[in-house]
Amino acid sequence: MSHQPSVGLIHYQAGNIKSLRSAFDWFNVAVRIVESADDFDGLTHVVLPGVGAFGHCADQLRASPAMDRLQDWVRVEKRPLLGVCVGMQLLAAESEEFGHHAGLGWLGGRVTRLRTNDPAIRVPHVGWNTVTVAQPFCGYDVGQTDDYYFDHSFAYEDLSAAHVLGTCTHGRSFPAIVGAGNILAAQCHPEKSQKTGLLLIERFLQMGAA
Amino acid sequence: MVKKRLIPKLLIVNRPFGKQEISVLVTTVGFQGERQVGDPVSQAKIYESQLVDELLVLNINSLPIGANRALVELVERLATETFMPLTVGGGVADLRDFAVLLESGADKVSVNTAALRDPDLVSQAARVYGAQCVVVSIDVRRQPDGRMTVVSGRGTVDEGHDPVIWAREMVDRGAGEIILTDVDRDGGSAGLNTALCRAVVDAVNVPVIISGGCGVANHFVEGFADGHAEGVSAGTYFSFRDQNPMQTRSHIANAGIPIRLLT
Repeated sequence: MSHQPSVGLIHYQAGNIKSLRSAFDWFNVAVRIVESADDFDGLTHVVLPGVGAFGHCADQLRASPAMDRLQDWVRVEKRPLLGVCVGMQLLAAESEEFGHHAGLGWLGGRVTRLRTNDPAIRVPHVGWNTVTVAQPFCGYDVGQTDDYYFDHSFAYEDLSAAHVLGTCTHGRSFPAIVGAGNILAAQCHPEKSQKTGLLLIERFLQMGAA
Repeated sequence: MVKKRLIPKLLIVNRPFGKQEISVLVTTVGFQGERQVGDPVSQAKIYESQLVDELLVLNINSLPIGANRALVELVERLATETFMPLTVGGGVADLRDFAVLLESGADKVSVNTAALRDPDLVSQAARVYGAQCVVVSIDVRRQPDGRMTVVSGRGTVDEGHDPVIWAREMVDRGAGEIILTDVDRDGGSAGLNTALCRAVVDAVNVPVIISGGCGVANHFVEGFADGHAEGVSAGTYFSFRDQNPMQTRSHIANAGIPIRLLT
């Protein structure tokens, strides 16, 4: 890598920080837990994790002292952000998980439950499933397929095709990897997807490298 | 389509090592008679290199999580040194235990006896962490009168529940996954209880993992094809044979079951 990445993991009491931290540590880059605006100093990449109910995560993030700085980082300075799982879903306009909750709206779209009448399609969607690249991003080519690990009951719907980088099918086709410019986000867990996931993280670390 | 899962089960007991306790890997037969078979972290790394889909880590000392520093350290090491999904259980009693294990690097937490004592724990955990984090482990065995019932205390206590009805109640309360283990088949290498698995699969809409009894690669195929399981978990099978997960995966794929073969 031509630059020295310094990664910040947003910690807002709603994420599995440990595993994500391990994945970035594997690349021997500086990793810092971010809990306030000052913690952004010197960072090159920011990661928004998230595990649990959407509403709880959204409330925790909005209440976080890091929230305003995160918004500037992503929306004003246009610097690299990786959203993972619920951290990805929070970028939507809204979610229907346990009632109606507003998201950050940075990508648009809605997060809805994976519904199915097919007894072979189980929800939560747990396990390894194939992501097909829908448009080129970070060195991935259209049509390329890779297996990633998923563990979720809700997924994006009605997201602008311009933001859909990769799709997966479980009952319905849903956006599995999304993005817009400086934003990359994954419904699957790259930090739990062995070599396939580590490659996605490496590609994220190359984002923004001049 | 989501792939079927092959899930090595790491049964863990604590052993004194100097002034502290460490986690060691064991196998059992009928949940009794621990045989030490290795170091869990080394074994997990080998499994990862052989492309297993996730790991099930169960401490069978029945120690409270808060008093089981060795287990928490094991989970931290597994989450640091491997990059695959971890389901952890054994001694989970309350929401605080969920928090401790998830913060240590577990992706899913398995609860068993505590759900029998307080079924509402499952509902609470699902509300806070989401159903996808909440795994209910159900141990079953055949009683002298012929009934198949849910058991606890390493298979010694008959809880009286019908496994299918109990599984449905757990899912209604928010369980996102069921792990079904037939104690009578544990360590016996004579095959999975596919009939019971099928009955539970038909009764719930979440993924069901079957365990207890894998002795040859075809037992995995039976778990998927006959039991309709989303995953098959095995401990003894991988501990005493030359069979490694990649060979087993090939056998499963050759039977026409969708499973990951390549990185």
